[in-house]
Amino acid sequence: MTVFARACRSTLPVFVVALLMLGLPPAGLADEQRATDDEQRTTGEAPGAFVVEDGKVDPATYQGYLVYTRVCMACHGPDGLGSSFAPNLVRGAERLGWADFAGTIATGREVQPGQVMPSFADDPYVMGNIPNIYSYLRARGEGGLGRGRPKIIESMQETTEDIEEDNEAAAESADGA
Amino acid sequence: MLREIGYALTAAGLMAASVAYANDNQLELQQNPEFWATQLGNYQGNRFSELDQVNRDNVGELRSVWQFSTGVLRGHEGGPLYVGDGRLYIHTPFPNKVFALDLEDEGRVVWSYEPDQDSRVIPVMCCDTVNRGLAYADGRLFLGQADNTLIALDAESGELLWEVSNGDHTVGETNTMSPLVVHDKVLIGISGGEYGIRGHMTAYDVETGEQVWRGYSTGPDDEVLIDPETTTMLGEPIGEADLGVSTWPEGEWERGGGAPWGWVTYDPELDLIYYGTGNPGTWNPEQRTKDGEPVDNKWAITVFARDPNNGEVKWVYQKVPFDEWDYDGVNENQLIDIEYEGEQRKGLAIIDRTGFGFLLDRETGELLVAEKFAPETNWADDYDMETGRPNVNEQYSTYRQGVDVNTTDICPTAMGAKNMQPTAYSPRTGLIYAGINRICMNYEPFETEYVAGQPYVGATLTMMPAPTQEGDMEGRMGSFIAWDPVAGETVWKIDERFAVWSGALATAGDLAFYGTLEGHVKAVDIETGEELWRFKTPSGIIGNVNTFMHEGKQYLAVLSGVGGWAGIGLAAGLENPEDGLGAVSAFSALGDYTKLGGVLTVFALPD
Ligand code: HEC
Repeated sequence: MTVFARACRSTLPVFVVALLMLGLPPAGLADEQRATDDEQRTTGEAPGAFVVEDGKVDPATYQGYLVYTRVCMACHGPDGLGSSFAPNLVRGAERLGWADFAGTIATGREVQPGQVMPSFADDPYVMGNIPNIYSYLRARGEGGLGRGRPKIIESMQETTEDIEEDNEAAAESADGA
Repeated sequence: MLREIGYALTAAGLMAASVAYANDNQLELQQNPEFWATQLGNYQGNRFSELDQVNRDNVGELRSVWQFSTGVLRGHEGGPLYVGDGRLYIHTPFPNKVFALDLEDEGRVVWSYEPDQDSRVIPVMCCDTVNRGLAYADGRLFLGQADNTLIALDAESGELLWEVSNGDHTVGETNTMSPLVVHDKVLIGISGGEYGIRGHMTAYDVETGEQVWRGYSTGPDDEVLIDPETTTMLGEPIGEADLGVSTWPEGEWERGGGAPWGWVTYDPELDLIYYGTGNPGTWNPEQRTKDGEPVDNKWAITVFARDPNNGEVKWVYQKVPFDEWDYDGVNENQLIDIEYEGEQRKGLAIIDRTGFGFLLDRETGELLVAEKFAPETNWADDYDMETGRPNVNEQYSTYRQGVDVNTTDICPTAMGAKNMQPTAYSPRTGLIYAGINRICMNYEPFETEYVAGQPYVGATLTMMPAPTQEGDMEGRMGSFIAWDPVAGETVWKIDERFAVWSGALATAGDLAFYGTLEGHVKAVDIETGEELWRFKTPSGIIGNVNTFMHEGKQYLAVLSGVGGWAGIGLAAGLENPEDGLGAVSAFSALGDYTKLGGVLTVFALPD
């Protein structure tokens, strides 16, 4: 975070990264655009957007942190940094890109003997949150977000509940699938 | 004196002796100081050796005589067995290979065995695919595989004699523990406390693998094998029936954990086995309340004293009723004979997950001492010696702070101030030697739903180094301590950069040995803790240093190979909350010091 925060203070107060191929407007997290964003999130079409401002993040990225810490950290170590058991995901997310990242989580993987990445296809909570996890890991990488629990950018605070609802909706649709 | 008995009995004579019970053979072997016949050195769990060929004066000359790579990358816990036949018997983490190595021929493989296991068991093992080693009796080796298959091998040939299933990995049951042979039974527990399993200890017939008894950790008395009229708690009969059901919200005991995955110890005179049970199911305490109030969640985090013949429970002591921190109570119960308030007592000492060092009377289960060995411990101020309950500090009560609230700076972490790394006890000094963890945590419970075979955790946990105390080394995350179990005091300590996750060994050569996560094996003066010797193995050590004598030569041997929960938690390093922005922390990343890979290193003095 420190490197990025310094760069950021001297240049732009807000750093927004959105996957260009998705055509998301950089300021695309304004309230009036939530609905379309949300739809794209749940259908997996707008993954990876994140906002990092002075070490704080948008609610979706924060949600990604929570899900990462609840589900993935036990193997991949704190803050996406990897462990003696499973690889660094900050680098992994960047290298794999969205499709392979999401695909790995859905199908699992076993390349090296004795190392198994489980499939989360039957876990609606994880499946519904893959875009948020991806946002979080990209924020950690490209966005220069530091270690530990980030805070939510105050002006975006109110959208936290929407994110929770999204996830429930996502969970339900994944349940039915 | 013991030595003389050892010399009088030749190894061959011991092997050939026909005995009624397998454990008679085990008992004879462990009474011979030349052998290391059970993982903890003896039934009492003392990890003490009478051998003194390697001692304070010459340990500086100790050198590696050969090394053997196991070919397995995961964390290597446990250690080699030596039963006098010129071989070392070792095991590996998943896929749980077993090797018989020729001690005289630089570790030539005499035979090896590799079970065929479903690799889907790997991701349901919460904290790496570790295994704590083999058990031996009467020419047979016993191994608890990751997938819950308990097997018996012919030690001579490596041939499979029988196998039996002790659990189902598709519902999250797994095995990491070393079995223990007592009488004609082999005892084994189970892992899976993070998957909502229902823990149990089970006895199988050594000859046939047939199940003899099973005692659950939760549920109705007839399944826990408790009789409320005769089973005691703090010296009094329990009185009330079925506390293993009534101290849970409706049905929660069925996924109430209490997995006994640690070491089992045994007192041959009292004919009782001792072990501790793990955390009570989900880490979210709110989901374990009854009518909105905390309840004890019995018999999780409980010391059990059972009759090994039928499993009946003689006494229980619940160390942490209504757990709020995952203080998994499995740490080994050291059986030690001590003088307490002028009286000889049969003691039971625990260097516990909670940061407290306990001393109990092992005949009655009465609580004698409960003092902090990890000075940063703050979740409880102390124990009420009348009720045996901790006085919990409200500020660090994750239940009081609430669901979705991040309770910060709780010491120790869920890893415990000590985890599985077994301690040593020297009857000569009366002290316990223990590798400990100096790490604290933030803990945030969240609502979780039980789905068979999926993690049932319900809390996120982040860790940081424990605040440094006066006299601590800067940047330490672990220590090796000499603990007086009666006085409840640390006599000396050595700080280490990382948690000390290896087992300790004490010897009559006035030495204590341990391994570090960077990969050093160290020998220290047992009186002062002064370092006398070190050797850098190829990877971090989470195994145990064992010692034995072959053809008049004392050897030490240790498995290195980093991993386990320590490897997962510490690989990337911990952030120091006391650092300001941009400050470079003194707390290091384990990944900068060591990488994976299992190796057995055998040491001896030069000829
Ligand atoms: C039970 C342990 C475990 C859990 C839990 C786990 N993973 Fe993994 N994961 C692994 C292992 C081991 C690998 C490496 C597998 C291999 O390469 O053979 C891996 C690989 C990956 C990869 C590929 C990385 C690369 O560089 O190619 C991604 C992406 C990934 N995991 C994402 C996740 C996410 C996201 C979560 C949480 C939702 C998660 N994993 C939870 C064990 C785990």
